Amino acid sequence: MDVEGHDPGGPEPERMVCVWCPDWPVTAARRRGDAPTDRPVVVVERGRVRVTSPEARALGVRPGMRRREAEACAPGVAVLDADPAADARAFEPVARAVEAFAPRLVVERPGLLWFPARGPSRYFGGDAALVERVVAAVEDAAGAAGAAGVAGAAGAAGATGTGGVDARGGVAAGTFAARLAARRSVVVPRGGTAEFLSGWPVDVLAGGDRDGGDPAARPAAADDLPDLLRRLGLRTLGAFAALPAAAVVARFGAAGLAAHRRAGGGEAYPPVPGTAPAGWTEALELDPPVERIDTAVFVSKALAERFLGRLSSQGRACCRVVVEVETEHGERRSRTWHHEGALTPAALAERVRWQLEGWLSDEGGLTGALTLLRLAPDQVIPASGRQLGFWGGDPAVDDRAARALARVQGMLGPGAAVTAVVQGGRTPAERVRWVPWGEPREPHPSRPYGPVPGPAGREAPPWPGALPGPAPARILDPPPAVELLDAAGRPVVVTARGEVSGAPTVLRGEPWPGGGGRRVECSAGPFAHDVRWWDRRARSRRAYWQCALEGGVVVLVGVARGRATLEAVYD
Amino acid sequence: MVAASLPSPLPLPSPLPPPTSADPSSRGRLRQVAGFATPVVRAVDRILPVAGPAGALLGGGGLRRGSVVEVAGTPGAGATSVAIGLAAAAGAAGEWAVAVELAGGAGSPVRGALGGLAAFEAGVALERFAVVRGVTRERWPAVVAALLDCGGVVLAETPRGLPPTVAGRLAARARQQGAVLVALGAWPAGAARRLRASGRAAAAARGGDGALVPGVVRIRVDGRGEEGGGSRRISAAG
Repeated sequence: MDVEGHDPGGPEPERMVCVWCPDWPVTAARRRGDAPTDRPVVVVERGRVRVTSPEARALGVRPGMRRREAEACAPGVAVLDADPAADARAFEPVARAVEAFAPRLVVERPGLLWFPARGPSRYFGGDAALVERVVAAVEDAAGAAGAAGVAGAAGAAGATGTGGVDARGGVAAGTFAARLAARRSVVVPRGGTAEFLSGWPVDVLAGGDRDGGDPAARPAAADDLPDLLRRLGLRTLGAFAALPAAAVVARFGAAGLAAHRRAGGGEAYPPVPGTAPAGWTEALELDPPVERIDTAVFVSKALAERFLGRLSSQGRACCRVVVEVETEHGERRSRTWHHEGALTPAALAERVRWQLEGWLSDEGGLTGALTLLRLAPDQVIPASGRQLGFWGGDPAVDDRAARALARVQGMLGPGAAVTAVVQGGRTPAERVRWVPWGEPREPHPSRPYGPVPGPAGREAPPWPGALPGPAPARILDPPPAVELLDAAGRPVVVTARGEVSGAPTVLRGEPWPGGGGRRVECSAGPFAHDVRWWDRRARSRRAYWQCALEGGVVVLVGVARGRATLEAVYD
Repeated sequence: MVAASLPSPLPLPSPLPPPTSADPSSRGRLRQVAGFATPVVRAVDRILPVAGPAGALLGGGGLRRGSVVEVAGTPGAGATSVAIGLAAAAGAAGEWAVAVELAGGAGSPVRGALGGLAAFEAGVALERFAVVRGVTRERWPAVVAALLDCGGVVLAETPRGLPPTVAGRLAARARQQGAVLVALGAWPAGAARRLRASGRAAAAARGGDGALVPGVVRIRVDGRGEEGGGSRRISAAG
């Protein structure tokens, strides 16, 4: 890979027109009639808010919140599950309306598309005039099926009421800048893109706009980069772009270089001419012709894998792909899809599915069954997939593990696969929080551990009375009842003042075979915990003993209210 | 933290004078730099290195990818600590480790849940460590097979009465995926290595806080590895 960044003084990349329909999943759901128009709406995916309606946003709901948090912020909010296929179906008329202006349009996801400005702009009398026409056409197309009329012209920032569609357009050099321009509905003048970008915060590099894209499909590094840059003191794109490209690639690798190019007003992956020979196109003849969507989707999955497999065998990846179909009546449709970063087989199959849903639905306008499905690479980039991470480790390993664990969660339920987070606490069971796989790995807010916010080097304070290590390898939950007896055969108890009735001598009733009572060879304790002594109802007093039994077994026994339980085994 | 990647080999610490074959100091320097630049685990290496005396027991200094290792022992004998040590080896090599715990009543030979804190103290990379809980006997083969696909180390409590045919199929899956299956409890088909924790040395009270420090675990090894069978008795810290 060459280390040359985009030269600020050099020619800008091709000017792009970007059309953005904010909160498209909400708009589409309202038009379908699945969502109420008079209440706030959020769309959730895997328990997290992905898209919010403007009213919900005004009440403080943000993407990434849990469903319950959103409901707390906005009482009465309507919660919908994400349905990208339906969103894509609804977006198809919009894409076709834009196609009337520019045949070379590229869809990023339902709700966001862009096309090169050069030809259409000249024909329609300038960038501003073109954007105005396109936005009006989009609002017509999207609103036609909706209940109410069309809202706003280009630059109408206000949200719309019932069923209307808010569309925004922007023009700038390069797709990244064009997308930001669309957010503000501005036409960036020729040569002014770098200046336009320089004021934006680095967070926009994370790839998601407000309605987010697909978080799973985004490279993980892209999410961490803005955070790291902020901590390094680089708060705006301008400051980041001012760094020398060679230094950026040495510190942040390929992902950092792509972000640096975008921040400077270039393309993340500059087009490499002549790298996509026709031989890389993958086509599938469907005989007998396919009418049903699910059948077409099924065959498209295998096709997507074959297509990307061939590219990767050449050391290439693809970030823009043309999906093409032919029908038995000789109709032919093609549409280009773009993806931030390299397409994975799953992401490509999903996009093909969205497109097929769009074409094969009633609004799609295809009259016959499909006879041919073709995937052609439109932009090919060098594959950087299997590279070692900065701190070692292979990203492909994490992907594989994520897939395997997701499958297990599908089999057994989301709570079945958990990961451990170390937190503060006194007992070994308290010191670990088990977080379902896929949720953020953070200690419980009331049990901080390790570095805490504040001056550098500040750590959470230790817990008084914590059981000393090493920790037991087996935790019994719930702990079975046992008998811990002193030399006189009475249960060992601790008085309110912390006095012990006698040294533990015999442990009886262990739950494993042959647990008929064993002599305690030596013991350490009591480790007395007086938990929440300031709260009369929640207060609990316990004492713990480490007991080495005959035979070398070491166990942890807890005593509370005169009853002993076997808490853990040093197995 | 950014999972960035380096497009070029690691930069050398300082410019090197051109080495000549006659100059022994240059050769030494070159060897040193080569050691610095070689990756810790080469692609051809099929071993996940295990630190400490347990590594010496396993033959080849670690877990052979694609093999099945059985770790057994009565409760309290230290089998879990040995298994956790093997999971730490996976994390150190950048691989994932997943533990499978049986649902209560599914014939689990070792009771209780895996101690997350013990895993942390043993050096398991918790961000690459997961536990699958409450797996019933019927689901167990499918779950373990799915997890073997992630190619790391799978610590699986073996249900009692596991049919040898199922065990053989899982062993084949591990071999195919280059994963390591660490079976906690008796493994009915042939395992490459059988580690049997046969008890701990006497626990000792530690000065200072007076806490008990469990003794070292005695491990007996039977193996079909290249070093031949037989059994040995070696102490390993646990």
